[in-house]
Amino acid sequence: MDLLLKRKIKKVKKGDQDAFADIVEYHKDKLFHLCYRMLGNREEAQDAAQEAFIRAYVNIHSYDTSKKFSTWLYRIATNLCIDRIRKKKPDYYLDAEVAGTDGLNMYSQIAADQALPEEELEQVELQEFIQSEILKLPEKYRTVIVLKYIDELSLKEISDILDLPLGTVKTRIHRGREALRNRLRHL
Amino acid sequence: MKCPKMYVNLIHEHLDGDITKENELLLKEHLHQCKDCQQHMHQLKRTIAFVQSTSHIELPMNFTAGVMAGLPREKNRIRMNR
Repeated sequence: MDLLLKRKIKKVKKGDQDAFADIVEYHKDKLFHLCYRMLGNREEAQDAAQEAFIRAYVNIHSYDTSKKFSTWLYRIATNLCIDRIRKKKPDYYLDAEVAGTDGLNMYSQIAADQALPEEELEQVELQEFIQSEILKLPEKYRTVIVLKYIDELSLKEISDILDLPLGTVKTRIHRGREALRNRLRHL
Repeated sequence: MKCPKMYVNLIHEHLDGDITKENELLLKEHLHQCKDCQQHMHQLKRTIAFVQSTSHIELPMNFTAGVMAGLPREKNRIRMNR
């Protein structure tokens, strides 16, 4: 597959638009999933994924073919999602940062209500609940968790995508995972 | 949990596949005798499973077509070469 992909990219670099359609087909599900986990909304995720592909096409000349294409593509998509998150700047998480946690707020430190009311459990689908908990993570933790678990990316790849030192990526994954554990352990 | 924080760190390193053989053994040994840490690890694994569980959302059939329609126009030169 990789070789085929490389060939397609070469064609795109030469200006062949049709070859790009295959690249989109190949990556679209993961990219959409990533955007959905980051943004939490179907329409917006679809829009962001589309924009990411268009940006990738327009900037294809800056892609270094010796590196993994998906890393480059995820980087574009992640930056785009982060931009969007910052623009809407939700303040639906309990705001105050907890000292020494580097951006984690009170919300991520408390456990979810032990038992949701039964009717509520019936109404709220598990998936939606999980998604909403991911969305409550501050953006820097959400980003690493999503990258780690959408495509089984290695710590090194995540550090490449986000342009962050490996140590920072590790710490954020650990903290993000703990915050989610606190929220999901009673499920 | 009364255990040193070190063990939680080891659990995370283990989950990331980023743990030395020596520490892996240390962790294993500890987990054998510590219910709290066992539970902690179990909860983290469940959390990961939740996050990984694929949501049922799917892209519309025409997504790729939408992307293609949004691209800047192809250079004439290429089109003529085909």
